[in-house]
Amino acid sequence: MLRVPLTRAICLTHSSRVLVTASARLQSNIPAKAPEKVEVFIDDQPVMVAPGTTVLQAAAQIGVEIPRFCYHERLAVAGNCRMCLVEVEKSPKPVAACAMPVMKGWRIKTNSEMTRKAREGVMEFLLANHPLDCPICDQGGECDLQDQAMVFGSDRSRFTDIDHAGKRAVEDKDIGPLVKTIMTRCIHCTRCIRFASEIAGVDDFGTTGRGNEMQVGTYVEKLFLTELSGNVIDLCPVGALTNKPYSFSARPWEVRKIDSIDVLDALGSNIVVSTRTGEVLRILPRENEDINEEWLSDKSRFACDGLKRQRLITPMLRKPNGELEAVEWETALIGVAQAVQNAGDKVAAVAGSLVDAEQLIAVKDLLNRLGSELLCTEQKFPTADGTSGTDFRSNYLLNSSIAACEEADLVLLVGTNPRYEAPLLNTRLRKGYVHKEQDIALIGPKVDLSYRYEHLGNSSSIVQDIASGKHPFAQRLKSAKRPLVIVGANALSRSDGKAFLAGLHSFANQLTPEDKNWKVWNVLQTNASQVAALDMGYKAGVEEIVAAGPKVLFLLGADGGAINKDNIPKDCFVVYLGHHGDNGAPLAHAILPGAAYTEKQATYVNTEGRAQQTLVAITPPGMARDDWKIIRALSEVIGTSLPYDNLDEIRDRLEDVAPHLVRYGRLEENNFYAQAAQLAKLQASSLQGDIDVKQRTLADFFMTDSISRASPTMAKCVQAVKKAQATA
Amino acid sequence: MALAIKRLSSIPKQQLAILAVPVSHKYQNIQVRHAQVSAPPPQTKTKFGGLSDQDRIFTNLYGRHDWRLKGALKRGDWYKTKEILDKGVDWILNEMKASGLRGRGGAGFPTGMKWSFMNKPSDGRPKYLVVNADEGEPGTCKDREIMRHDPHKLIEGCLIAGKAMGARAAYIYIRGEFYNEASNMQIAIAEAYQAGLIGKNACNSGYDFDVFMHRGAGAYICGEETALIESLEGKQGKPRLKPPFPADVGVFGCPTTVSNVETVAVAPTICRRGGIWFAGFGRTRNSGTKLFNISGHVNNPCTVEEEMSIPLKELIERHCGGVRGGWDNLLGIIPGGSSTPIIPKDVCAEALMDFDGLVACQTSLGTAAIIVMDKSTDVIKAIARLISFYKHESCGQCTPCREGVSWMNKIMTRFVSGNARPEEIDMLWEVSKQIEGHSICALGDGAAWPVQGLIRHFRPVIEKRMKDFEQREALKN
Amino acid sequence: MMAGMLRRLPKSVVSLKWYQNSVSAYSSDALKQKEAPIVDNSVILDDKEMKEREKLTHLVNLPKEKTLASINGVPEEHVKDRRVRIFIPAKNAMQSGTNNLNTWRIEFDNRERWENPLMGWSSSADPLSNMSGVVEFNTKEEAINHCEKNGWKWLVSSEERKKKERVKNYGVNFSWDKRTRVSTK
Repeated sequence: MLRVPLTRAICLTHSSRVLVTASARLQSNIPAKAPEKVEVFIDDQPVMVAPGTTVLQAAAQIGVEIPRFCYHERLAVAGNCRMCLVEVEKSPKPVAACAMPVMKGWRIKTNSEMTRKAREGVMEFLLANHPLDCPICDQGGECDLQDQAMVFGSDRSRFTDIDHAGKRAVEDKDIGPLVKTIMTRCIHCTRCIRFASEIAGVDDFGTTGRGNEMQVGTYVEKLFLTELSGNVIDLCPVGALTNKPYSFSARPWEVRKIDSIDVLDALGSNIVVSTRTGEVLRILPRENEDINEEWLSDKSRFACDGLKRQRLITPMLRKPNGELEAVEWETALIGVAQAVQNAGDKVAAVAGSLVDAEQLIAVKDLLNRLGSELLCTEQKFPTADGTSGTDFRSNYLLNSSIAACEEADLVLLVGTNPRYEAPLLNTRLRKGYVHKEQDIALIGPKVDLSYRYEHLGNSSSIVQDIASGKHPFAQRLKSAKRPLVIVGANALSRSDGKAFLAGLHSFANQLTPEDKNWKVWNVLQTNASQVAALDMGYKAGVEEIVAAGPKVLFLLGADGGAINKDNIPKDCFVVYLGHHGDNGAPLAHAILPGAAYTEKQATYVNTEGRAQQTLVAITPPGMARDDWKIIRALSEVIGTSLPYDNLDEIRDRLEDVAPHLVRYGRLEENNFYAQAAQLAKLQASSLQGDIDVKQRTLADFFMTDSISRASPTMAKCVQAVKKAQATA
Repeated sequence: MALAIKRLSSIPKQQLAILAVPVSHKYQNIQVRHAQVSAPPPQTKTKFGGLSDQDRIFTNLYGRHDWRLKGALKRGDWYKTKEILDKGVDWILNEMKASGLRGRGGAGFPTGMKWSFMNKPSDGRPKYLVVNADEGEPGTCKDREIMRHDPHKLIEGCLIAGKAMGARAAYIYIRGEFYNEASNMQIAIAEAYQAGLIGKNACNSGYDFDVFMHRGAGAYICGEETALIESLEGKQGKPRLKPPFPADVGVFGCPTTVSNVETVAVAPTICRRGGIWFAGFGRTRNSGTKLFNISGHVNNPCTVEEEMSIPLKELIERHCGGVRGGWDNLLGIIPGGSSTPIIPKDVCAEALMDFDGLVACQTSLGTAAIIVMDKSTDVIKAIARLISFYKHESCGQCTPCREGVSWMNKIMTRFVSGNARPEEIDMLWEVSKQIEGHSICALGDGAAWPVQGLIRHFRPVIEKRMKDFEQREALKN
Repeated sequence: MMAGMLRRLPKSVVSLKWYQNSVSAYSSDALKQKEAPIVDNSVILDDKEMKEREKLTHLVNLPKEKTLASINGVPEEHVKDRRVRIFIPAKNAMQSGTNNLNTWRIEFDNRERWENPLMGWSSSADPLSNMSGVVEFNTKEEAINHCEKNGWKWLVSSEERKKKERVKNYGVNFSWDKRTRVSTK
């Protein structure tokens, strides 16, 4: 990075010393030491900053916030809105604080007459062509332009329009079913353009025309084809880009905002759920530097309308004629309890993709008390014969942590399409690619990852070659300073997943990264429940259950299709515990309606092993209840009461099983690498066939679980994408 | 002219004198070079103008002779260029500094100093010279004459300037509308390549130097140096912020110097005849000869090479046959291309045509494109037309220029008919002040100044127009 | 107004003079006017009353561990069953301002809400829901103290954010050999 811009060499005012040091460094070729801090004065307050810091950042260090529209700390500097102009003593013109690096001894005045004049002028110009339709604008109440106009703007308008020429009017663009555009409101900050090309990697947005006729758009009308499109809504400082499904539904001051966690992929993005009158209206990202920065994938953001549809709102029992009948809780629990009591220890449970840790522990405790160990997750993960590949956490976690992925210098992706399996991990990789010269290679089908990568092929024999060191890429990994191997959970769920795990993991262990603590081996999970389930000792994959032929089978939101009519005994009593009437429910003999992730305070563990909790945003609909409470009630009817009555007690139990499950927000160190690899090494078999990923294109991204499958918005997205792909 | 919009204001005159000294010292320290710049000669001359024919640099300005290589050689171009190159970087820079040549594109930055900025130790990136031939400023028509009739002067200038800054190649960014100029340039470049004057081992000096020509697509803003760089890179011509200055991050991310055609084209002659000779013309710190373009209400509009500091009145009388209808018929003059403020007749009579002389008149030399308006001119309409030009040419990137200039345009349109209130004159002044100095590039300034000039000198005219309008309206009702 | 009144007055010199005098007395010399003396009535107070007054001049010291739960009238279920979350509000992703992110807030667990059939407003049976996110504390200790005083169970759920330092450089947009080079504006 050009930390010390040589520009200063010719900057006219305070240049001499800087130039000498800069050129001396260039000549001597000595690696630059940590640069000495320079002192600048913000409103006469001294502050020490690293050279190259912008005026705006220096001011932020002492809590002075300079107004801005185009500047966004996660996007490149554009410097075009001119709102951040501030006076610098001895400079004849105000400078753009967002782009101007500070010089030693600068005295910056963020509240002087000149600064305020400049702001007021820019604000007046921005408003001159802004429609001022705040009363019908969805951004109203959370609009940067509104707020800043209140603080920095003039109190009256000088804009006379006696010719009735009107303000600038711009045609709205259709960029898809998620983002609504009202382009007349656009103030040309170009944040959306920069987001699209820098973060999303889709260079579709740009400006056309010039002067006052300049427009932001795609030029030819086309869909904003990315899995991150919703973020431009957040970025837009005015109401030019708004949330289409949410449009005209609420004002920001009338909604309640509840901090929560997203569960539609395995990253556990932090979200804010906006609710009103028991209804989830929209979901916004919540800043978390370690996970999602401040982005959110479209599925996580827009699938929330799926929470209102296809819900199971009452317990049901299957009548002898095969129909499901709505019943009271009591009847349902007694029905299930009888089946369980008759089954003895032939009881099993399968955990689906959206199950929380509290529910998992309650089911596990119940089944263990009944004498059964048949607890499985729907998604497979290779296990050793006799032992479990999941005995060590490091085997199935994204060990290096999500944030560290951007620091890697060489990444090997195997059998995964991170762009759709974990969009925000993909943005990290893209960030590494763009800003840190990261190189990325992929084994698997050729997909569009939004950045350039080396496609090594999709044959699994390549994996074998790399694991044995034969492949030229293996050498590159060995010489890399911070290599990463990221393996998709789906690749490991193949029948020869063992060989994948064994080969790649032991290869990853041979690598010698510069930093001893750097973790090479990473698994990218796709289900929010998988890590917690494996942490608790659930077995991955349903083979054992199929083999055992249980008499009662609990499906905990298991809609993935691993269990179906044909692989369970005919007389097996299936209990479906979940929130959506999706694939699993039709199998069921009893349905116990549970709560979705926005309706319970529950623990989820993400793919890097970080436990986080959701909070109750709304109450479960109808007769649906917290899942663990249902199990707790059932246990009482069965006659083996579970020993916890409230959330605190069940979390105590969680802590007994695995202490990290209640250390919310923290990342636990895992250090059993060598042993884990030893275990995994035991069974290496040959790999055959091609590697495939489930989600290849954007159309495959939107509907992957019971919530997003129930969402009409997601359905529209799939349609729109398919249509766009057909015409492209 | 292209660089005209890279305004004077970016370097206030007072600073120049202060800066010149420390910067040159600095470079001596670093480069272990004793480029002892000769101090400008003390001002002894008091009368300027009347350049003699043997002192003209552009000897084929009117295209009366052969513009191709043969003719150019006859006129002394490419004469002992190798020896100039062999004298080395320091010598060339020293001559340029001694000549006191200031950029001819409008901003008037000392050329020798600007070129010496490029002489930093290389960090592996190539360096480039970019010649700004995007002459789009209304009223300016000097570079086109050079390129059409004396292209070899420019190519030779590129070679010498390139040598002085260690550039790998020169890009000549030529205005798209200049078809003949571009084709003449292209032929001249081909001739120079064939003759071994540029290209590998240019002029047998052992220095490899390429010259490329790039035609613009008709945007005035591409005459701003960073917008020009963007355009050259194949992007929209939207100016960049400074810093980073082009000398650090320029075209294709490499150190670049953008110079005006005239600046580059006079370099060979300065090197041949010596900086002192060039410095002998004009007042101190405004030295040299200059192409003046006089258009508008004069009897004989022309482009002429004259000594700097020539009185404006003398320039018009001597070369243009005077103002149409006599000097007393003069209303006002825009002395430096459309973006400079207009000056009324009484100021014109005193004005000296150089950088300092016109700053003293609250206007600027710009590209020395003199637009003369006699009393038949509707000055409000004239300025309104200029503003509508700037509105059309604003790139739309930054707020003050995008929104402000079109707002000014709306107000000016009403001023033409007088359909406005006198308070709006003050408002217009304020709006223009809100644009000036707040935009990314100097186009905002260039759009604000004509308006400021109008208000400064012709306020009564505007007020009278409004009063007349009011009376007319009152009669109607 | 005043001038009008003056004009309407009868042109009697005496009365006008009186009027002017009174105006000047009220308007310009008010500060110079002598004020009525403040009567110190302590002389007429008896000992008991004096002690009472003495007491009132001191600050009231409450014992620290005193809980208000027993006296503030909040129904027991809200005190016993509920948990208060202590947090710093998250930045609104829709806006760039950060001014409201510096104080700690408390929030009760969310309870059922429904649409009121009369006006369509949001109804709730939870008397504490409107405390959520409104009361501000400078530090989390203050918030914890407040919760303990009220006998609420609490949970601190966010940490003081440390701002990640970023290098912002306009020049990299045009860098010659970096992928940060932008293709458009």
